Amino acid sequence: MGRRCMKLPRLCAAVVLVIAVLSACSARGAGVAGTGGAGKATNTATFALPAAVTPNWIWPFAAVQDMGVQNIAFLQQLMYRPLYWFGDSNGGPAVNSSLSIAQLPTFSPDGKTVTIKLKPYTWSNGEEVTAQDVVFWMNMEKAEKQNDGAYVPGQFPDNITSVRTPDASTIVLTTSEAYSQQWFTYNELGQITPMPTAWDVTGPGHAGTCATSTAGCAAVFSYLTAQAKDLPHYATNPLWQVVDGPWKLKSFNSDGHVTFVPNLSYAGPVKPTLAQFNETPYTSEAAEFNVLRGGKAIDVGYIPPQDLSGPKPAGAAPAAAGPNPISGYTLAPEYLYSINFFPLNYNNPQVGPIFKQLYFRQALQSVVDQNAIIHAASAGYGVPTNGPIPLYPASDLISSLEKANPYPFSLSAASDYLTSNGWKVVPNGTTTCVRPGTGAGECGAGIAAGRALTFDLQYYSGQQTVATAMASLKSNAAQVGITLNISGAPFNTLTGTAVPCHGSGCTWQMENWGGGWNFAPDYYPTGETLFLTGAGVNVGSYSNPAIDKLIQATNHDSGTAVMQAYEDALARDLPVIWQPDYPYQLTEIAGGLKGVTPQNPFATLTPENWRWSK
Amino acid sequence: MRPVTTAVAVGENADSEGGHDASTVGLPSGKPKSMFRLGAEVFLQNRLAVVGLGVLGVALLFCFVGPFVYHTNQINTDLMASTLRPGQPNHPLGTDQSGYDELGRLMVGGQTSLEVGFAAAFIATLVGTLWGAVAGFVGGAVDSLMMRVVDALLAIPTLFLLLFLVTIVRPDIEVMICVLGLTAWLVPARLVRGESLTLRVREYVQAVRVMGGSSRRAVVRHILPNVAGTVIVNATFQVADAILLIAYLGYLGLGISPPATDWGAMLSNGTNYIFPNYWWLIYPPGVAIILVVVAVNFVGDGLRDAVEVRLQRR
Amino acid sequence: MIRFLLRRSLQAVVVVLVVTVDVFVLLHQLPGGPARAVLGARATPSQVAFFNHQNGLDRPLVAQYFTTLGHWAGGNFGFSYTLNQSVGSLMMQRLPKTLVLNLLALLLTIVVAVPLGIYQAVRRNKAFDYLATGVSFVLYAAPVFFLGVVMLVFFSQELNLFPPEAPQGDGVGPIFAEPRAMVLPVVTLAFLGIAGFSRYMRSSVLDNINQDYVRTARAKGCSSGRVLTRHVLRNAMIPIVTLIGLSLPTLFAGALVTESIFNFPGMGLLFWQAAQDSDYPVELGVVLVTAVATVIGTLLADICYAVIDPRVRLGA
Repeated sequence: MGRRCMKLPRLCAAVVLVIAVLSACSARGAGVAGTGGAGKATNTATFALPAAVTPNWIWPFAAVQDMGVQNIAFLQQLMYRPLYWFGDSNGGPAVNSSLSIAQLPTFSPDGKTVTIKLKPYTWSNGEEVTAQDVVFWMNMEKAEKQNDGAYVPGQFPDNITSVRTPDASTIVLTTSEAYSQQWFTYNELGQITPMPTAWDVTGPGHAGTCATSTAGCAAVFSYLTAQAKDLPHYATNPLWQVVDGPWKLKSFNSDGHVTFVPNLSYAGPVKPTLAQFNETPYTSEAAEFNVLRGGKAIDVGYIPPQDLSGPKPAGAAPAAAGPNPISGYTLAPEYLYSINFFPLNYNNPQVGPIFKQLYFRQALQSVVDQNAIIHAASAGYGVPTNGPIPLYPASDLISSLEKANPYPFSLSAASDYLTSNGWKVVPNGTTTCVRPGTGAGECGAGIAAGRALTFDLQYYSGQQTVATAMASLKSNAAQVGITLNISGAPFNTLTGTAVPCHGSGCTWQMENWGGGWNFAPDYYPTGETLFLTGAGVNVGSYSNPAIDKLIQATNHDSGTAVMQAYEDALARDLPVIWQPDYPYQLTEIAGGLKGVTPQNPFATLTPENWRWSK
Repeated sequence: MRPVTTAVAVGENADSEGGHDASTVGLPSGKPKSMFRLGAEVFLQNRLAVVGLGVLGVALLFCFVGPFVYHTNQINTDLMASTLRPGQPNHPLGTDQSGYDELGRLMVGGQTSLEVGFAAAFIATLVGTLWGAVAGFVGGAVDSLMMRVVDALLAIPTLFLLLFLVTIVRPDIEVMICVLGLTAWLVPARLVRGESLTLRVREYVQAVRVMGGSSRRAVVRHILPNVAGTVIVNATFQVADAILLIAYLGYLGLGISPPATDWGAMLSNGTNYIFPNYWWLIYPPGVAIILVVVAVNFVGDGLRDAVEVRLQRR
Repeated sequence: MIRFLLRRSLQAVVVVLVVTVDVFVLLHQLPGGPARAVLGARATPSQVAFFNHQNGLDRPLVAQYFTTLGHWAGGNFGFSYTLNQSVGSLMMQRLPKTLVLNLLALLLTIVVAVPLGIYQAVRRNKAFDYLATGVSFVLYAAPVFFLGVVMLVFFSQELNLFPPEAPQGDGVGPIFAEPRAMVLPVVTLAFLGIAGFSRYMRSSVLDNINQDYVRTARAKGCSSGRVLTRHVLRNAMIPIVTLIGLSLPTLFAGALVTESIFNFPGMGLLFWQAAQDSDYPVELGVVLVTAVATVIGTLLADICYAVIDPRVRLGA
């Protein structure tokens, strides 16, 4: 009897002891590991791929589902150089002429003729990179534009009326209209990747005619697509071994283990010094971090924000690094050129009329506390979004209005917007419309008396930052009587529900899949894909004719003034609700590995810059 | 009928008690004790079961009465007070990522976990046991059909079913209870049917038949009590499973919407912080889950012994 | 017996077909369809329409189902929308690894849990019984994502006994080349099973020890050991057989959390990723494999009942 009575306390004591030991051990665990520099001994570098993505498309002509960064930046552009490279040597979003295969284009005075001169580059099979290779790409694009993810109807290649090659290294394009030089270079010419004539085949040993005429492209397209679907043979297929970039494939495994070796015939300005470049896959961020801590397997990896030992000091610059718990590694936050937001459905029959009122959007934006969310959800690493132009990295496109933030976080301002437009604000209750009508100071068209501000907001619960941001938004909105019924949903539900619609079946209200917009491959942040009436990705069906005119101007007129005019107007008009923009990842670089920073704002990699210091 | 013989038959704990044997239980000093009383006595003799009951009682008090005693704001976030260490003036157990007080969060989370756990387990056990008992007893084509239905549902990956269900409905507590109950009844059905198959050929069941008893009587009075042991053990595991399944859903991002939460979602969020050692986010919900589940299992053991006694006294 | 097998096989085929219909229908009820999830947020409506047409998703549901069925009959399990590989080759890559992981875990579970359960039943209410009960309760109660992370932190990071990730690379070769790296994932998976199996074993042995035939055997002079192994064990194994049969589907697709924590991409993660990306061909392929495994598992379990307990008359 006595023995039995003692079992339970003994069991409890054991459990408590184990927990105490674990806590103590974990506390000691911080700061251990990382001798950093696993690849130093062999002059190689191992790069950790983002969680749960693996490269799986090698041909630089891809449908939209294959256009992820893992294919473009981590596979294709290492081997097949695009015509123009974006991301300058300071980490800014400008075009990089030294890494581009062509010189910057020149425009005729009327703006309709564009001349591109190629620099002397060679393919690894000995052939030169010629104008024919560019025309090959343009023909393929013309013939198979439905299969190109970057195609926007009315734009490239529909707006090209003729393509001439006066000599082997010059291409002259004639456009149907005069376009903005920046927009045309960044978003249209930026799509081109010259393809070698070795790829102009319809079968092994059967030459195709796509490089000379569009009629022959369908057959070449089928053959190259079939080759691109044959993942086990990526490293041995002779087609893919013809490269003009600094690297070529040594081995490729569809589970994500990829190795590259230098291409000795690369003609660019920086040649690789590493003997080998490896990519390794991870099922989750936590799995990658566990391996990173060991210090033996990863040279360039990342740390999830939750594992930081402390937040970044407030007020520090976005690129500044806060405390780094891994010794032997340097922390370098990596931001992409992107904005973050979630859309409202203007065509929803019930709540659409409310969304269409600017004052409501102003109120809703004013209850978003971006700085607090960045502090709590991302340890201080993040940049607020105030408008359609990313605030980081710095560029002269950013206007002073956007930088100053037309709608800072302010519960009193939100309350004012509502009360001065016919609503009775009940903090922590329900705000209702008390002055319906379309006059000044009244709620607006389609809003009946007694109407309450209650909305459904679905968000991507699989991402910690989004979950925290939405909990905070709900809480803040409640303080001015706006009720947000938030619920988590899987990613595919959200993207499937948030589609442009109209009519009585158009029932979604607000959807936040956490993604916002990444300006790649549309490197110049004009708004014709996002905010133009009827644009494909304008899922909320936002429509403002004045903004449409400004967007058209950004496509046709060069210079920063026209961009800033568009930017200011859109920042004021709040087509969507802006959200904080988080770093793409918090990169950890092994001590002794130089040349990894500054990181490219389009996530492209340049391992030819990386070298181990002595 | 099975005769009562040695102390082995009277609950697990009888022999080491040393005090009870067939001669002292229910002997004529008047009418014999009722089944319920007998069962309760055996239950109370099992110290672990009593402790388990006590722990459950404390947990219920903590979760449902606690918030009236210890007021915290579990609705509004406070992002600037995110992940504070324990020991702050207002936060004895620190705060979580959204700034909610952790101790208050444990209470709110416990309400959800306990409600969902017990309700879903109850539904699952009830449906599954009846299904399996009937199938096993009736046999033949009916058994085949019923079990093939179970097979078909078992073959759909639970994850997929959950993903689908959670996608089409808004995840609040009542819905989650139904969803979990409906995915969990399959295992008890199969277990009970397996035992029922063997029991229906036992002598006493055949005796009922011979004496003219109906099938329903045979199932309810003879089969069910004899599978009670397996059913009770399974039921206690069902409670554990329901609490753990909702934790798993939280880990996958499919759980209850904020500001509601449950211990499992708290634990799953907390494990993100295991490296910087934010122990107040990890171990309190983890220990709470373990304590409650272990307590439920002890109670289940005690109940099983009590039911055994009833069987012996037939 | 032959009649029984034939009948059950037929039923099994029907069950598998019903499951595929169920999943097919459920898949297409999910809002939005696969196009937007696969193509991503940048897809324009014309790209969505093009994708739907290319993949036959604009045809009626019944037509799509029978086309898929026809492909399956020909051994073509479809082509993943997002991973650019055929579903067959994806499963060939992932299935062996998942099977090895789960089989090792199941083996460990049975080897530990069955003797443990018997010993606990025989030494009921002694110190060992209580300790083992307490430990198995605690192991059962701790969620696997918690347990796995704690094991990793303690054994891999602190004590440096094991590598932080499972063996990487193609096929099952690397698994056996680096057995140390498999220890943590297998043990993590096995904990849950050991707790459950040993409890059922103990309860089942206890149930049977009280039966008439045991008393009869003892009265006839059989030793305890002989009684145990020759008489009790066979009957006590029935719930265990059920549990093993029930765990067959998880052998094929059930280790999602462990795979994620230990960087061991297997069928569980394949299915979860496909579910997130609405990659229908992969989802259907995995469901098919799991359904077949389930019906085979339950069939084997039923056969074992008959073998173990001759009093069970099947098909009566």
